[in-house]
Amino acid sequence: MPEGLDRDHEAYKEPPKRTPAPEEPLSPFHPLAILGNVLHYTVDAPVTVFRDWMERQRGKHKFYYYHRNYRRVPDLTECLEGDYLCMYEAEAQWKRDMKVDYEIVKIIKERAEACQVREGPSHRQNCAKEMEQFAEVSKAFADRYADLGAFGSARKCLMKQKHRMIAERKAEAKQ
Amino acid sequence: MAGMSLLLRAAAALGSRRVLSRTAGGGRVSLLGRNVVFPSTIAPVRHGSHERRLFYIKATDFYDKRFLSLLRYYILLPGIPLAVLIAYVNIFIGEAELAEIPEGYVPEHWEYYKHPITRWIARNFFDSPEKEYEKMLAIIDAEAIKADLRLKELEARRLMRERGDGPWYHYETPDKNLIDYSHKAEPDH
Repeated sequence: MPEGLDRDHEAYKEPPKRTPAPEEPLSPFHPLAILGNVLHYTVDAPVTVFRDWMERQRGKHKFYYYHRNYRRVPDLTECLEGDYLCMYEAEAQWKRDMKVDYEIVKIIKERAEACQVREGPSHRQNCAKEMEQFAEVSKAFADRYADLGAFGSARKCLMKQKHRMIAERKAEAKQ
Repeated sequence: MAGMSLLLRAAAALGSRRVLSRTAGGGRVSLLGRNVVFPSTIAPVRHGSHERRLFYIKATDFYDKRFLSLLRYYILLPGIPLAVLIAYVNIFIGEAELAEIPEGYVPEHWEYYKHPITRWIARNFFDSPEKEYEKMLAIIDAEAIKADLRLKELEARRLMRERGDGPWYHYETPDKNLIDYSHKAEPDH
């Protein structure tokens, strides 16, 4: 979902701080407070007023957009030889699935990065779960989609899987 | 900066001698003729700290200025209306909101896009992606049928050549019984 990640996911929540000492408020003559006020009245307030007016104008006639729902079609393995229509639909489905897999890897990576930023110096021991999940997911992704080249297709992916299975079988037979 | 030059020009205009009569300056007629009216600032005035206006000889910038002027004109001619239109659409109409597809409702193909101008273009100019997909499938189907028929034709040719029983790969010859062997019956004639 490129629109927005699920920010309420528990992977992104900050852990409770151990020393909840309350910060004393800044006095209004502090330079940072003055700067804050200046920025607020010159930039923040006019922009907020304009934005609220704009939202009111837009709210007069709302309209919606939706995400596409694609039906599942038979796979490349279920297509007969010479059935080019079935093959085209299977290739299109494979491309869509590849895009979805890209986004999945991105989300897992973002979780690991968020964990590292959150933990700071102790990220190696506290983020082990997220790092392991990311390593697993990226290995699976590489097994399936890596090294297919720029013109990768469902057919090439299938052949890659076939070669992997042959190699595995050979390795097993050797033992 | 611009104000300064305007000020200087105003000061020069006030201070210059107005050459009203052609015969001012000793009764001589100017080189440009009798009926020419000079602008009022033709005679530069020396007022102390005033700067002198000199005629610097430099390469012409007429063509460059003309080109840039025309470029600005032709870019802004559609550019300003487009900018106004896009600003109007973004401020007053705004982008669509994401929603779940309601039960039993099939959205039109333009309702899958966010920006109103994209939706308008998709609604009025482009076919729906479903139609494009089906057009592609139709092309593939036609090509598949053609490929299949071509292979069948090659196979038919091969078989007809091999077996010799088809309409191709043979020429009609006259009947064997029509051959006249009579002149061969007596070899010594």
